[in-house]
Amino acid sequence: MRRRDFLKTTAVGAAGISLLGVPFSAEAAQSINLTILHTNDQHSRIDPIPDDGRKYGGMGGMARRASLIEQIRKEEPNVLLLDCGDIWQGTPYFNFFGGELEYKLMSQMKYDAATLGNHDFDNGLKGLEKMLPHAQFPFLSANYDFSKTILKNQFAPYKIFEKQGIKVGVFGLGIELAGLVSQNNYAQTVYLDPVATAREMVQELRENQKCNLVVCLSHLGYKYDDGKIDDVTLARQVDGIDLLLGGHTHTFLDQPEVVRHASGHETLVNQVGWSGIFLGRLDFSFSKKTLQKTDVRTAVVPVNRPVTTS
Amino acid sequence: MKINFPKAIAVLALSLSMVGCQRPWVASPALVNTDVPVDQSITPDPELEAQIAPYRKEVTVKMSEVVGTAPVALSKGDYESALGNFVVDLQLEQSAPLYNKPINLSLATNGGLRVPLPQGEITTGHVFELMPFENELVVLTLKGETVQQLFTYAADRKNALIGNATYTVQNGKATNIKISGKSFDPSQTYTLVTSNYLAGGGDDLKMLQDAIKYENVGLLLREAILQQIRQLNAAGKPVTAETGNRVTILP
Repeated sequence: MRRRDFLKTTAVGAAGISLLGVPFSAEAAQSINLTILHTNDQHSRIDPIPDDGRKYGGMGGMARRASLIEQIRKEEPNVLLLDCGDIWQGTPYFNFFGGELEYKLMSQMKYDAATLGNHDFDNGLKGLEKMLPHAQFPFLSANYDFSKTILKNQFAPYKIFEKQGIKVGVFGLGIELAGLVSQNNYAQTVYLDPVATAREMVQELRENQKCNLVVCLSHLGYKYDDGKIDDVTLARQVDGIDLLLGGHTHTFLDQPEVVRHASGHETLVNQVGWSGIFLGRLDFSFSKKTLQKTDVRTAVVPVNRPVTTS
Repeated sequence: MKINFPKAIAVLALSLSMVGCQRPWVASPALVNTDVPVDQSITPDPELEAQIAPYRKEVTVKMSEVVGTAPVALSKGDYESALGNFVVDLQLEQSAPLYNKPINLSLATNGGLRVPLPQGEITTGHVFELMPFENELVVLTLKGETVQQLFTYAADRKNALIGNATYTVQNGKATNIKISGKSFDPSQTYTLVTSNYLAGGGDDLKMLQDAIKYENVGLLLREAILQQIRQLNAAGKPVTAETGNRVTILP
């Protein structure tokens, strides 16, 4: 890539999405960094994918992920670790233990929040209720109304995390359950329109709670052709989300999709496949003076861990 | 403040490249990627490993539990097969006490039965390989015309196993259809037990979406298979299925 092209690429957007993995030192002194790590569709993949010739064989594994996260926590002052749902279903660990180990291990990795995927309803509301005490992190859900169910008051729509004065508002969105999950399993859970809900969340988090960064954890799915609501459409229709982390479609992205609004505000949409094969990483910089977002850079992948495919 | 050497070096390198260096700085494509691989180069966290270990051991033990024995392997085949007949029959048998109303027909497809059941000891792991999906058993109430479409599909595609019925295939069409030994009556409705996947129109079984009633049995298909094999084993019976009496192929 020619240098001129490179500079053109980095000039994208008011916030400027830098392709450089390093901030300038002078700027760095004036800024606060926030590292967002994320997973989606873990599907009970506790152990690495069997290395038997299948795609991604030998990759993943929760104990390895824990090491990686621990390393990043040592290097970075402000880390948020988030998950976008479908923690459950896919290996016998779930069939035999009902999701207990998944929640315990995520708690040990100090996940900050997760949202619910359709497969997290696979053992019904009772199965979910039974396992919740093992999760030392909150499940955020803004568009499922559990008020007529046994899980009433169990889930907050959003949570605000404060890191060196930076307020990060995180909210959760789930997919329509009818047709995807047996009604026995979701019972009287009511699905609310994600777009209207997301607009309310942005209003609440940005205007009322004065958050400096708004993050949506979605299990809607990345992109559909049939008009069903997806992450990209939601990002286009709702102005004011900084980062939309997704799941459900098990999508591997080469880089986050950038959605620009008429206001100039940008929403990044990202997803990291499934099974914990990769850990998603985005680094945001904020001005120390204004607490405004000044920069976002995506993961610097160490050479000893080359990106094999994505 | 601790010094981050790789970053410091990168900043230095970048600064040098910007100060009069003629060689353009090239961004590696990896730099835009947000995906950090979780691969063999990472040492597993010992605490998490220790926490996983007893669960892993239990999974291994449970997956190798012998649930029954098959004197001969149960394999797939066209129209009907040992594996197909075994599964459609057990769908009826295991659903009956939960559904509590008559079920007239049972349906599975070859695509849904992932691997054969081997000769000899059958383990829980074998059943997970046969049915890795969390498919649930459902009972559909179908109009006669939908049932006719289903038999037409079965005769044409050869991949559908229909339990509690017999039929003849002639020129690719299903004729002489009998359900519970009685001639098929297109003016009647029939109940059919199958997986929620097929009931939703999977394997091109679109006609099943015209069902007039859809009821959950409350049992996973894999669980039904395991129960059937365990019950046979407890009764001292082998895992077998008869074949060759359900579909007659005329030249």
